[in-house]
Amino acid sequence: MSNSDHDHDHDHDHPHKPMVDEITDFEVLEIALRELCIEKGLFTADEHRVFTEYAEQIGPTPAARLVAKAWLDPEFKKLAQTDAIAASKAVGVDWLDPTGFGAPSDFVAFKILEDTPTLHHVIVCALCSCYPRPILGNSPEWYRTPNYRRRIVRWPRQVLSEFGLQLSEGVEVRVEDSNQKHRFMVMPMRPSGTEGWTEDQLAEIITRDCLIGVALPKPGVTNNVTPLVRPAIRGVTA
Amino acid sequence: MNDKNPVEAYAILDEIVERQQTWPIMTKRYGVENPLPPWKTSLDGLCDALDRSCDTAPLTFKERRDEEDELSASLYTNLPYPENQLVSLAHSLLMRGVIDETELRKRLAVIRARLEA
Repeated sequence: MSNSDHDHDHDHDHPHKPMVDEITDFEVLEIALRELCIEKGLFTADEHRVFTEYAEQIGPTPAARLVAKAWLDPEFKKLAQTDAIAASKAVGVDWLDPTGFGAPSDFVAFKILEDTPTLHHVIVCALCSCYPRPILGNSPEWYRTPNYRRRIVRWPRQVLSEFGLQLSEGVEVRVEDSNQKHRFMVMPMRPSGTEGWTEDQLAEIITRDCLIGVALPKPGVTNNVTPLVRPAIRGVTA
Repeated sequence: MNDKNPVEAYAILDEIVERQQTWPIMTKRYGVENPLPPWKTSLDGLCDALDRSCDTAPLTFKERRDEEDELSASLYTNLPYPENQLVSLAHSLLMRGVIDETELRKRLAVIRARLEA
């Protein structure tokens, strides 16, 4: 491809990532709903902008960092167990002011659930989809499904095995139900094979799924599992 | 508040569903790798802003999520996530009379013309 038809010296031959070159109805619908809500005074454009920026920047990195620190530093681990809000601050997450413009209304408490050789935690929100967003980012799609929410409470071992996590009978599985006032994350055990690792190396294997409790950290595994999300089976009505 | 049955359809939303411009189809058509559409974080901002304005909002966080689950498993079962989240939210706002179908249809046309200008 020749790019010599105009006079400047930057290189046009670098590869461009492909882009969606059409305007979708869904993109248009999102803008329409937002504009109409703003016009009707439900919220302001500024409020929307701040929340959107917040949604852009959150992710599971601070939570992974927190666990890696706790694995390496017994004092920090104690802090994580006794004052999870303070431990979160040490990795840059202020639960009392996560968006930077006032305390959000949807939580008041945060707790870190420590796994042991005989106890495994997994989190859920049976009621809706409450999730420790300030420190773990947005919840994955499967976490929001009624299927996961209903079944993890009733048959935790079966659901965990669908994520590829088989726990021995000697390990108690505790399902912690989040709600609008309480949020949780899991502190998994440090796996063998990570002796001498740095905080950065450890943080890499502490994936989002490990922090929810549907996976265990493992050397060499840095990706989340994508389970088969089955649609909820609806009761047949006469 | 409008007392329409939650699973009663709205023509404008049905038309959107039928056109199937969903993100998985778009990514396949254009060879794009992003797992979520670019409007997703703006939708998150919209939902958060709505949830937060509980004094004036026409629906609570729980009502919004319950209806999203209900509608995603019924009328919008053929839509992937987060398209089903977006269309369910539109449905909930229409059902409560926060917006009406005529004004939504007009607004969609105006915005599309603006984006395609």
